[in-house]
Amino acid sequence: DLTFALAAMENSDSAEQGGSEQSEAQRQRQRDRLNREEAFYQFVNNLSEEDYRLMRDNNLLGTPVGEITEEELLSRLQQIKDGPEQQNANERSEESAGAEGSEEGSNGDTILDWLNSVRRTGNTTRSGHRGNQSWRAVSRTNPNSGDFRFSLEINVNRNITEQQARAEGEPLEGETEPVPGTAVVEQPMETVAAEVEEPAIIVHPEAEPPESPLLIRPPIEQLDLPDPQSPPVEEAVRRGQRRARSRSPEQRRTRARNERSRSPLNHDGVEGPRRARRSTSSQSPHHISEPQMEGSSRTRQHILSRQSTVEYDAQLDSASAEPVNAPQEVENPSDGGAGVETNSSSRRPPTIMLDLQVRRVRPGEYRQRDSIASRTRSRSQTSNNTFLYESERGGFRRTFSRSERAGVRTYVSTIRIPIRRISDAGLSEATSMALQTMIRQIMTGFGELSYFMDSDSDSDSNRGPSQSTEPTELHNTTNSTNTVNSSQESTEPRTAEERQDVASESASVPTVGREGRAGRSPISLEEPGSLPFLRLAHFFLLNDDDDDQPRGLTKEQIDNLSTRNFGENDALKTCSVCITEYAEGNKLRKLPCSHEYHVHCIDRWLSENSTCPICRRAVLVSTRES
Amino acid sequence: MQRSLRLKRELQFISTEPPPGISCWQNGGQMDDLRAQIVGGVNTPFEGGVFSLEIKIPERYPFEPPKMRFLTPIYHPNIDTAGRICLDALKLPPKGAWKPSLNISTVLTSIQLLMAEPNPDDPLMADISSEYKYNKQVYVEKAKRWTWKHAMQRNKVVDDAEDFVSVDDLCKGAEVSYKREAVCPAEEAEKSKKPSL
Repeated sequence: DLTFALAAMENSDSAEQGGSEQSEAQRQRQRDRLNREEAFYQFVNNLSEEDYRLMRDNNLLGTPVGEITEEELLSRLQQIKDGPEQQNANERSEESAGAEGSEEGSNGDTILDWLNSVRRTGNTTRSGHRGNQSWRAVSRTNPNSGDFRFSLEINVNRNITEQQARAEGEPLEGETEPVPGTAVVEQPMETVAAEVEEPAIIVHPEAEPPESPLLIRPPIEQLDLPDPQSPPVEEAVRRGQRRARSRSPEQRRTRARNERSRSPLNHDGVEGPRRARRSTSSQSPHHISEPQMEGSSRTRQHILSRQSTVEYDAQLDSASAEPVNAPQEVENPSDGGAGVETNSSSRRPPTIMLDLQVRRVRPGEYRQRDSIASRTRSRSQTSNNTFLYESERGGFRRTFSRSERAGVRTYVSTIRIPIRRISDAGLSEATSMALQTMIRQIMTGFGELSYFMDSDSDSDSNRGPSQSTEPTELHNTTNSTNTVNSSQESTEPRTAEERQDVASESASVPTVGREGRAGRSPISLEEPGSLPFLRLAHFFLLNDDDDDQPRGLTKEQIDNLSTRNFGENDALKTCSVCITEYAEGNKLRKLPCSHEYHVHCIDRWLSENSTCPICRRAVLVSTRES
Repeated sequence: MQRSLRLKRELQFISTEPPPGISCWQNGGQMDDLRAQIVGGVNTPFEGGVFSLEIKIPERYPFEPPKMRFLTPIYHPNIDTAGRICLDALKLPPKGAWKPSLNISTVLTSIQLLMAEPNPDDPLMADISSEYKYNKQVYVEKAKRWTWKHAMQRNKVVDDAEDFVSVDDLCKGAEVSYKREAVCPAEEAEKSKKPSL
């Protein structure tokens, strides 16, 4: 050890001496970087408050600074300013469109950056009455890097609406609308019911079948499916516009509903029937997935997301190589009748309902689906392939359904939890056992769903290529499997297994030589662990840890802190964050403890921390819950 | 955000007005890879030694703390055999105490102080810590010997085989027995918390 350390030091010394030309180049690079940084600094200082906020909130300032040229910044600013027409007007008005950076502008950003920006920019709008709550983050996928981003939207509505009969029986009705990137889950609830309606997981593999994410997995795993083909940026933009148009109706509805006052979840308390609703919408032209979890605080979730992403990143390789199967999920579900659901929920005792919804666009059909004609047509169609099954375990009822229509495959997993189960402890405390149990249930459901989809995606991935041209025997095989499936809706567990069998058979057929599946070994039903589930469990374990993680302030909270322009006669002349002296006209932010910093310096710190960088006093004392 | 600008200023500052007993410089023109030396304090077991540290500046500096590690072996309750340092200023809040108004210079000064004043209640090296607490004389002796072995220039080159073996054994022993504890207790606790959900 010792010798090694010494040797290492000597090596570095000699390397330093030996590589003078090299370090000359390095110095040059560094100088460039410094210049860029200086330019950036100038740029930011000269921004108007409005522009600054615009850029910050859209995370266009980028990190690290030295990487971005001033021109780039300018063009980003321009883009975001021009944005409104080109971007979804809806989004913007709707939720202060937090993370909606322009795709083109964000090519250097990493997932982490984005997640950070979500924390900073996640919607914190609280509006409306009766304590409705919502927050939202939007996802993006960077076409250049294949970066994955997701969006979250959580709405907690306490107002009570009547339950629509469509609860599970036909959850596909509105949701299957092939509107790209839209998954607005609208499920008004029965009068006494509380409903936490969850999470749409939307997957839009956009690239053509061969290597693209044919396998649907839970979001984590989708992380490892960067778009292999990186469609040109213009294309992405075009899509964005299309999307903007197409998704508006739903969004508007959602908004109307949510534009009421929000209060933190814990204010909601348990006192009354509550309706918690989450829906998600995504804008990514690529696949998007949105892990969701029962919300405690916004920040917490964000942190969680970040951690888990890191976590999953680490697992990516192994994850993609692992055989995805986990048949064990099927163990318990009792055979549930298809369609039984339809009206039953309105007669049940109050429940909190958790919906996991996964939608998937079959790659081959994506474009076609985009046309208004096909959209209209598909809307009027009855779903051609829908089935669901249900299980009851530990008092939690879960339902799975799948439907397919016009290239959009929708998976819905619904978990109903009787409200009495959680009413004692309530949701007020994020760490309460009740909530944890509930979360675990969600995730279990999620795991099952992913199993479901995995098995499904096998048949699907078989079908994929045949659609795209080469009809093979395999094609027929899988088609028949599907037929079998749809005729056996009510015995889903078995069906799923069968299907896996078929899939594994076909996986060994040499003709299925697509990269997407290359790493997959034939599925063995003996494989004991449900990988997705385990990972998701881990996800929540991580979440649990977050309680003592730093929590940043919301954008709103930050903006509420006072600012002023620097004047020559001020006492403290240096910003402690960047250790740069203030210049005339610099915009400073003053914390309650009277310490001041450059706005852009302190804003970044406060987005992840809540104390003053000098005195460590909490920036928010009483305002925390307001 | 202002990483390299800030670093540049910090390095300027540290070279013009270095804290006593501390020096810091760029390692081979890399802005984010620094080296530092801390001179062992007078009246400490490290007196006469010069301890080298590796400093890695994270991308998000100063919003994240710099990563510092001893390159020179040191016998200390809060520094493990890999050179990792258990110091709150090197970690983000709320567990840690890093804040952007700290800088490399101040953190190095904190480390210098930590060397002189170990914190046995937050030990990284449990055995050294209890030795420090209950058998300080032995601790001081060992620390001095390590200093003499590893941190004094004249001894670096000399290959005193006999002594070297013994120190080496010591290292190995330490490594074997501490490997599992080579994490801060806080982090340990964190780990053990996870499965409890």
